[in-house]
Amino acid sequence: MGLVLVQFLNALSFSALLLLTGLGLSVVLSLMNFLNLAHGSFYLLGSYVAVLWLGAGLPWWMAFPAAFLAAALAGALLERFPFRGFYGRPHLMQVLLTYGLSVILADLMRWGFGAAILSPELPEALSGVVFVLDMPFPVYRLFLVAAGTLLAGLLWWGLDRTLWGAVIRAAVADRGIVETLGIDTGRVLAAVLVLSAGLGGLSGALGAGMLAAYPGLDEEVLILALVTVVVGGLGTFRGTVAGALAVGFALTFSRVWLPELANGAAFAAMALLLMLRPDGIVAPRQRQV
Amino acid sequence: MQDRDRAGHAAAPRRALLGGLAAAALSHPALARPTLAQGAAGARPLRIGMITSLSGPFTALGESMRAGMNLFLAGSGRAVAGRPVEFLVEDDAARPEEGVRRARKLVGQDRVDVLCGVISSGVALALRDVVTEARVPTFLLGSANDLARKAASPYIVRPTKTNWMLGTTAARWTFERISKGRVLTAGSDYAAGREFVGDFAATYRELGGRIDRQLWTPLGSTDFGPLLTAIAAERPEVVYAFFAGSDAVRFLRQWKEYRLAGRVPLVGPGALFDQEDVLPAVGDAALGAVGAFHQSPTAPAAAAFGRAYAATGKPLPGEFSTTGYVCGQVIGAALERAEGDLSDWERARAVLFDRPVDTAFGRMPFDPRNGQAILDIHVNEVRRGADGKMVNTVLHTYEAVRDPGPAA
Repeated sequence: MGLVLVQFLNALSFSALLLLTGLGLSVVLSLMNFLNLAHGSFYLLGSYVAVLWLGAGLPWWMAFPAAFLAAALAGALLERFPFRGFYGRPHLMQVLLTYGLSVILADLMRWGFGAAILSPELPEALSGVVFVLDMPFPVYRLFLVAAGTLLAGLLWWGLDRTLWGAVIRAAVADRGIVETLGIDTGRVLAAVLVLSAGLGGLSGALGAGMLAAYPGLDEEVLILALVTVVVGGLGTFRGTVAGALAVGFALTFSRVWLPELANGAAFAAMALLLMLRPDGIVAPRQRQV
Repeated sequence: MQDRDRAGHAAAPRRALLGGLAAAALSHPALARPTLAQGAAGARPLRIGMITSLSGPFTALGESMRAGMNLFLAGSGRAVAGRPVEFLVEDDAARPEEGVRRARKLVGQDRVDVLCGVISSGVALALRDVVTEARVPTFLLGSANDLARKAASPYIVRPTKTNWMLGTTAARWTFERISKGRVLTAGSDYAAGREFVGDFAATYRELGGRIDRQLWTPLGSTDFGPLLTAIAAERPEVVYAFFAGSDAVRFLRQWKEYRLAGRVPLVGPGALFDQEDVLPAVGDAALGAVGAFHQSPTAPAAAAFGRAYAATGKPLPGEFSTTGYVCGQVIGAALERAEGDLSDWERARAVLFDRPVDTAFGRMPFDPRNGQAILDIHVNEVRRGADGKMVNTVLHTYEAVRDPGPAA
């Protein structure tokens, strides 16, 4: 019983990590229809910032806002040039641009942070365990679950329930009409991209405690995030949450029950899901004017 | 239209200037092609081509390998047996087809005299036929067992371990000193993991030990939680595990997070506790763990290399920096013994294998059947050093461990 429960918690914490990485990607994709393959680079940048921050002995909780700001700054610079010119272009062009950028960013980070595998010094408060029916479970993973839930909640509230969220959604639906209301939509879209980059960095900081940081992690994370977003359903917020849970539980329990075929079994299940529901678990409402 | 004209005018003199520079560079003696320098400068430079992973999953290891070789070359004044050395490095990205392409480039286009390197066993096995057909002496550093067995080649020298050497010695140590039963194995589910764990299990069972459970997890696992929870529920007496690179770092950190560190003895091949690539990133998670390895920063033979490596501002060396350095030492010895001429490889190979080479791995004799080094395998325990950092400390040494080779 304890074993099953802890495996359930393992799956939940892995889902939280997937949710954190998927959120940033899904925000630009669903709100701006912009496919950003450089998202993994923002994640890795956040990881490195958090590792260095924690290693320097500064207050540990500040590592997360620092990572958010660093990645958001990188996002703001890249938004000015060259992302801005590609919002209206087809996905293929965006893929070429952002994939190329991710390769350049990976080289820059290897040059700046070195090729060694780095991992953060977690504070006392986060490095303990709780015992679940006699089985140890790390506190850090509970922290991940809490952070993932909180961030997803905040984002949902901000985009779905506030005036700012309404402006963003309107700017995506019909830019022209929003412009006639006297709102600079260029700025709105820039803000969304910066937010997405910041979320990438923040998830990197949170994920570093579980995945460490090293060259090549950006691609691994990007693939997991893409799978999460696609399985959940492109363009919906609830979809990303559903996708993260589906992928997290499939990968964890395939490892428990079929360890030798783990990846194959999990991805076969996801492929089957996509064949049954080609638009993902939660199909987006078609917003058309 | 006007703009384009102006650009055209500006470009013309620039092109002329570049052409002039190129011509100047070509006529400069230091940059001239080596074949032109042959008569004038005496000895023709020896070209060593290295294929290693500078991108992809083994990036950190590849950087270390290159650093080790560069240190050897710098220490020998970039000349061996009176011949100046040119060193070229190509990146295989840990992909066999890329490795083959790079090897063909080094052999066909750069005309290297000697090839060396390789981390991924997949790349090493793919290169075997390429270098054998091209008849290029190759110092191959991958560690798949087959490289010393089915895939051995007269053109390949192997100045490093095979996976079998580490799996079997770990089993002997575990059986003799730790536990005779209730062992659980956990490994990365790919070729090297299967070999390390398989050879451990075979030897352990031959000695009369019992293995309770064998767990596998895909290479590049992001989350070891499910695996570690299964291990915690099993409560084994010993765990033998193999993971490498970033997997090793995640496994060990999570090993501690799930409170297994210090409760269950952990044994593995030394790569799981690599001094340079793994231990600095895992804090004290590996404290007390035991690894069977041909490399140890505390082995007497490695002392001189360790000092030289530290002088370049690097930490204590791990497997791949030492391997790169040793590879240089063996190439150096081959050249010295053949009086600087490897063109008659059959003879050069015979004189190289004639007597052992002194390297940072210790005295290294070669098995003439397959060109495989016969190595001392250390049992290292991860201990806290004087400065509080973790150090692989030699507990015991199994001397002259020899791969069964073609007999296996």
